[in-house]
Amino acid sequence: MSTEAHAVDQSTLAADWGGGTFPYHVGHKKLGMWLFIVSDAMTFSALLIGYSYVRASSDEWPAPFHFYPSVVFSTVMTLCLLASSFTMVMAVGASARRDKRAARRWIMLTMLGGLTFLVLHLYEWYHLIHDYGLKPFSLPAEWAREWPNAPPLFGACFFTITGLHMFHVLTGVIYLGWIAFKIRRVRHEDVEVSGLYWHFVDLVWMFVFPLIYLMSVYAE
Amino acid sequence: MRPFDQPVVEAGRVGGELPSSGSGGRLRAFAPLRRLTADTDLLLNGLCVLFAVGFIALAVRSAAMSGAFISTDSLFMTAVCLMLAGVFMVSPALMLWERGLLKMPSFAIPEGEALIDEGPIHFEGSMRLFLNVLGGLLVLTVIEVALAYFQVPLYIMLTILIGLSLIKAALIVAYFMHLRFERMSLVLTLIPILVVCICLLFIFFPDSTRSLNLRTTRAGAVATPEAR
Repeated sequence: MSTEAHAVDQSTLAADWGGGTFPYHVGHKKLGMWLFIVSDAMTFSALLIGYSYVRASSDEWPAPFHFYPSVVFSTVMTLCLLASSFTMVMAVGASARRDKRAARRWIMLTMLGGLTFLVLHLYEWYHLIHDYGLKPFSLPAEWAREWPNAPPLFGACFFTITGLHMFHVLTGVIYLGWIAFKIRRVRHEDVEVSGLYWHFVDLVWMFVFPLIYLMSVYAE
Repeated sequence: MRPFDQPVVEAGRVGGELPSSGSGGRLRAFAPLRRLTADTDLLLNGLCVLFAVGFIALAVRSAAMSGAFISTDSLFMTAVCLMLAGVFMVSPALMLWERGLLKMPSFAIPEGEALIDEGPIHFEGSMRLFLNVLGGLLVLTVIEVALAYFQVPLYIMLTILIGLSLIKAALIVAYFMHLRFERMSLVLTLIPILVVCICLLFIFFPDSTRSLNLRTTRAGAVATPEAR
């Protein structure tokens, strides 16, 4: 299933759109993962747009994130995910060169990035729940004083969206762990497909981070 | 019989190869219809053009009929209609281009950095390319975080943040997820449906801003025509 011929062929589009035995020129696993990613992207965009709807129709919205720890932590988390995406590309590249050992090493690094993200994010949750007393359907008393017209839905939006994303990261770490464990048995396409999933997790965070965190930075 | 190893599927020609033995006499009456249906591509793309024209007409109508063009409702309706028209025009434009009637910028990957380092299993993209992409993503992230501390109106900040995030998403999808090196048909199957579905979700936003204005009890409510 080589695609290098079409990459340089100038009249590629006509052939690409003509159907044939492999209309997409990818394996069924990869196509399945792409379709899952598209549907999951719709789930996340529905959640983010629901959050934006609530926020746009409210008089006020809490902006509680101080520079330390929330913004610093979430920025470091973003960098972790971006770096782990890069190491995942390197893993897929190594797997394409049939270098299984290097692929496993790169996947381990990717998992490390994902685990760092999880630990930092759980600490962030702990900080909000324990130190502030944030609950899904009520604001902490301190916040309610500072933003009196805000609806009590900050916690619901925050916990749902970041929680679902965290669940995706956890799933991804387990998935990558399984791939790394089985690296000698799995085919190159499996590594590539797990990479697609991991990049998607990264991609979602690129929208969650600005919308949840950066739009609610505390004006000191 | 055609040997199996030859490609059998030729888009648009299937309708013309219907077995007509036995029922030839009955089918002859429908000859013009059959000639038309033989070129399925032409027929379906014609339908697409019809839809596109209809949506353009709707867009023009909604722009002309609305009292104030620069309002959320009117801009939204016009934009959605134009976008749907554009979506329906993609396939006819591709057909025209295929038949050599339309000159279009080539979609093929330009020669350059992307094709330098090809591994044994056609893994396009070198480490340097991916490091560059990573660097770009990191710089954009730092810009976003810095932007959060500038005193700009919330809507302008939202627009800039979403714009930067879309650039980051495009970089990730194109290079990390390797979509730039995939077949064009995969890109055209995945991306437009996603964009259309997400844009359809925006249909709620005029409602959310209006419900804010409807609430007259809030402090400093502005009496708009809708908020009677």
